Amino acid sequence: MDWNFLFVNILNGVVYGAFLLLTSLGLSLVFGLGRVVNFAHGALYAMGGYALIAVMYGVGVGYWLGLVVAPLLVIPIAMAIERATIYPIRQRPDVDTLLVTFGLSSMIVGGIEYVWGTGTKLLPPPAPFAATVDVLGNQYPLYRLVAAIVSLLVSAGVLAVIQFTPIGLRIRAITDDPGMAEALGVNRKRLLTLVFGCAAGLAALAGALGAPIFAIHPEMGMNILIDSFLVVVLGGLGSLTGSVIGAFFVSLTKSIGGGYFAEWSTAFLFLVVAMALILRPTGIFGRGRVG
Amino acid sequence: MRGLQSALFTGFVSLLCLSAGGSAVAQEPIKVGILTIRSGPAKPIGDDILAGIETATKMYGRVLNRPIELVVEESLFNAQAAVTKATKLVQQNQVASILGTSTIETLALLSVADRLRVPIVTSNSGSAAITRERCNRWLFRTNAEDLMSVESLRELVEKTPRLQQAKWFTIGHDYPWSRLVASSVKGVQDLQYVGETFAPLDTTDWAPFIARARAAGATAVIMPVTLGVPLLQFIQQANEFGLTGTAVLVSPIGLPDWLVEKLGNTSTNVISAGSWAAWRYEEAWPATKEFNQAFYAMHGRVAGMQSLQSGSATLMLYNAVTKAGSVDPEAIVEALETIEVNTPVGSLKFQPNGRQALVSLFLGPYEKLDSPRYGATYAQRADPFPASKSLPKSAAEYGCKL
Repeated sequence: MDWNFLFVNILNGVVYGAFLLLTSLGLSLVFGLGRVVNFAHGALYAMGGYALIAVMYGVGVGYWLGLVVAPLLVIPIAMAIERATIYPIRQRPDVDTLLVTFGLSSMIVGGIEYVWGTGTKLLPPPAPFAATVDVLGNQYPLYRLVAAIVSLLVSAGVLAVIQFTPIGLRIRAITDDPGMAEALGVNRKRLLTLVFGCAAGLAALAGALGAPIFAIHPEMGMNILIDSFLVVVLGGLGSLTGSVIGAFFVSLTKSIGGGYFAEWSTAFLFLVVAMALILRPTGIFGRGRVG
Repeated sequence: MRGLQSALFTGFVSLLCLSAGGSAVAQEPIKVGILTIRSGPAKPIGDDILAGIETATKMYGRVLNRPIELVVEESLFNAQAAVTKATKLVQQNQVASILGTSTIETLALLSVADRLRVPIVTSNSGSAAITRERCNRWLFRTNAEDLMSVESLRELVEKTPRLQQAKWFTIGHDYPWSRLVASSVKGVQDLQYVGETFAPLDTTDWAPFIARARAAGATAVIMPVTLGVPLLQFIQQANEFGLTGTAVLVSPIGLPDWLVEKLGNTSTNVISAGSWAAWRYEEAWPATKEFNQAFYAMHGRVAGMQSLQSGSATLMLYNAVTKAGSVDPEAIVEALETIEVNTPVGSLKFQPNGRQALVSLFLGPYEKLDSPRYGATYAQRADPFPASKSLPKSAAEYGCKL
């Protein structure tokens, strides 16, 4: 048994899991609060990458400031999109919002192509982190580690907000019992718009962090969107704890699977998710709770 | 007298009508269909293909004193869509020929080519079967097929001592071409082959596969990864992990020039085992230089190998129509079978009784140019490998029976 090879694959899985967690949290929050399956989440991830290069090369700010600004640019756009398209049809069957967000995804990608073109853009990692470091005898890209740490810190912050703040309490209340929460004065509509925007911000941040690794192109969000759906379905729609477990389960399965089984890794992942859903149809932690 | 005047008048009017009809035909464009990728990660390939066809069309000018009208359809990189769109091009748009197809579209069109009954000239299809056991009288290919690339890989290894001593590893996508490339490497005598891994087609994170190559101690990695964004991501990530410091990356069919330019200095870690075209060979081939200049004037960038190839296919077609003297499909096919044209990829003609062009491949590393040319700062140092070596047998011996 090559333990070093196993270690590297686990490390790869943890790093990718950190990105996946950032996108999955937003997806899970939006569903938990508003029962919205947001197919546009991947496009918002891509928007984050493009917002980053827009501020870096258009305005001339550095990478780290761009990383802060890019999601802040995407949040109000997402909130406006939610108000204009999802909010009016909130009372309709779930499939309607699913179709609308699917259409939104195409529109956002089309808009990106119109503004920036269809070409791929490479963004080098910021200079101090462009090197490799020795991790237990393995040369590993420093930027991936830094990006993973940033993702984990932000995710921890989101979880802390949900668990320990008044607004988090409102979010949990709406998810647990929307009728009662609204009766007690929680403004569900305004909260959903805010959460939608913040979820978009998380996706945009993930897109900006991932840009130096995965390159920037209009459809860069598609693959992570699929993985994110696997995470939230496996973890339980609306469950943030489930998203945490699900993100690392998916990423480690892909990474270790890719290292040992390569061409079977995706099939194995979908098989595991299917088995889990057969045994627990609502997902591992799926009880409609946030937290 | 009245009768004579009437006859003269009638004759004069008839003459006018005939002239008008004649010039109407002369003005009526010849429609040429282009079926290629216009969206998705492989869109850059379609962009290059289309740009090459447009350039060649502008260079050639009128055909049979008629303008050319290009009718572009999106193939969606999908077999069923390709058949639907090709049928539409032929039946609705009345195109005289179809250009621009890649492997997926070409393989799909093979099954309907006899029904479409127009010449199809592909310049971006690798599958050897297209012009071997599945050859069809309507379908011609100007780019080199997979098995020609296998021969050029052997040549590259024989010429490069560093590669002979290397520990070879294959990292590719999980589809037939990758496995063909892997088997071709394994087939080279005395090569040390240490492993292979084939990633799912939607892979964006190559970390696990790179780890496998490093664990195997690879010092030469051949990468049959889909051209386009996936290949860009793979090379970038291989560089990120430091694999390019310990292993040479070998590209089975070369890199598109837009990708070379994006990679910049990273591209110098790559060697091509058989590019389909090389714009730098312009000093040897005037037709290449003429195309390069026209392409740069039209598009403001260097002509990549897909552009050079599609431009060559286009020139073959237009020359064939000119030789045929009409847009009759049968006449064009007969002309294509026998013409020889100076194209941007060299002097081209098709195999006797076959449908594969006798085209060179280009081996060699990528390097920084002394000074930018046509907007390119990095490019392949091209060394041609002729078709006489990569395709030595006859079409029949390769299984093509028309």
